[in-house]
Amino acid sequence: MNPFRVALAVARKDLRSEWRTREVVPALAQFIILALLIGNFGFQVDSRNAASIAPGILWLALVFAGLVAFGRTFAAEREQASLEAMLMTPASPVAIFAGKAVAASLLLIVCEAVMLPALSLFFGTPFSADVVAAVLIATVGMAALGCLFAAMVARVRARELLLPLLTLPLWIPFIIAGGQAVQSAMGLPGSYSEAISLLIDFDILFLVLTSLAARFVLDE
Amino acid sequence: MLIAGAAIFFYAPTDYLQGPVQRIFYLHVSSAIAAFGCFAVVLAGGVIYLRNESPAADRFARSGALVGVVFTTVTLVMGMLWAKTVWGAFWVWDARLTSTLVLWIIYAGYLLVRRLADPGRQAARFAAVVGIFGFIDVPVVHFSVTWWTTQHPGPVIINDALPPQMLATFLFTMACTVVLAAVMIAIRYQIETLVDEREQVFEPAKVLVAREPEPVQ
Amino acid sequence: MTYLILAYAFGVAALGGYLFWSLRRLRELERIQGGRS
Repeated sequence: MNPFRVALAVARKDLRSEWRTREVVPALAQFIILALLIGNFGFQVDSRNAASIAPGILWLALVFAGLVAFGRTFAAEREQASLEAMLMTPASPVAIFAGKAVAASLLLIVCEAVMLPALSLFFGTPFSADVVAAVLIATVGMAALGCLFAAMVARVRARELLLPLLTLPLWIPFIIAGGQAVQSAMGLPGSYSEAISLLIDFDILFLVLTSLAARFVLDE
Repeated sequence: MLIAGAAIFFYAPTDYLQGPVQRIFYLHVSSAIAAFGCFAVVLAGGVIYLRNESPAADRFARSGALVGVVFTTVTLVMGMLWAKTVWGAFWVWDARLTSTLVLWIIYAGYLLVRRLADPGRQAARFAAVVGIFGFIDVPVVHFSVTWWTTQHPGPVIINDALPPQMLATFLFTMACTVVLAAVMIAIRYQIETLVDEREQVFEPAKVLVAREPEPVQ
Repeated sequence: MTYLILAYAFGVAALGGYLFWSLRRLRELERIQGGRS
């Protein structure tokens, strides 16, 4: 079976299921808006420090939203035991994994589409293509890692504890480089191109590693 | 049973030329290096396990992770005590300290995954994946003082900036510490072997045969 | 300075303690399980 078509089919299934139930995206979008609000109060944001705080709040909100979004990718499968069924088909586990990761990232991207304008609105920071690009590039790598560990903890006890514990350390490179990219895109000192190329490097590195590891995590 | 190398660990910080606190560096750095070695064992064990499902490889990985976390803890705590003296604060968020803390968290996660996943194949596979990804942090910690500007002292040993007596003391301490780590891993490996046998985690699931009812006397 | 002593005390206690703890655990397990290797 053609892996691309498998991946697409899996992704479409997940997206369609989300479209019907509309559970994740509204909740995540709401969470993100709340995070921005709390950030505003917690950091005593005023017009002077808004620009320097905004990148931090962006990544904070994104990381937590990402944990939720990717954490859910395998929850439904686990409940209905459909993962085992999918693995019994001749489809490659990596393709299945890729499909789920793509679907989860698309959901997160929809939330980012809410978050970035909101951030710009509330914090007065520029809403530029640079910022969007940085966030999108980072999302790719973070999705791969997040879904890998989500698949792992789906069948483990204490998964809400374990998922952040495993995922966050490996997301730190993305947060550092992404933070720098967004900062410089918002006018603060820092090299944008350097940060973006770092993000792309991390994406490639982790996409390769994750696809190699996927079969060990999904295989029963 | 391997009790061999434990007795070797006598070190003598023969002399010190600066403030006494500086002496911390002998054990502090040696522990860090020992920890890196342990995590390399975890990496190797994990890769070998994923390749051919050898329970021995998994046991080495497990042992390496536990001993590595012990040594990383020692590194962090000794470092914090040195920091309080020299910098006036127990902790700063510079690249080396942060990446070492992350290293600790990663392998603590490794141990947690092992404990929480289904014992046997599943725990071993997942832990192997975590251990392999986690090892990415080791070169980061090592190179953190060169890649970023940090408060942590720079690479003094590799740059050959140590006076010869300190260097000799350090090398001796490092050798002893690494041997100690190896001994600890070996001991732990034995423990894990016995535990595995008792709980029969890696054997194929046995069908429990019902016992024959004992004849009534 | 006291921190130096404290640091080494911790280091030795942690490493030595762990070593002794593991040796004891090993001996115990071997006793229970008959020392198969």
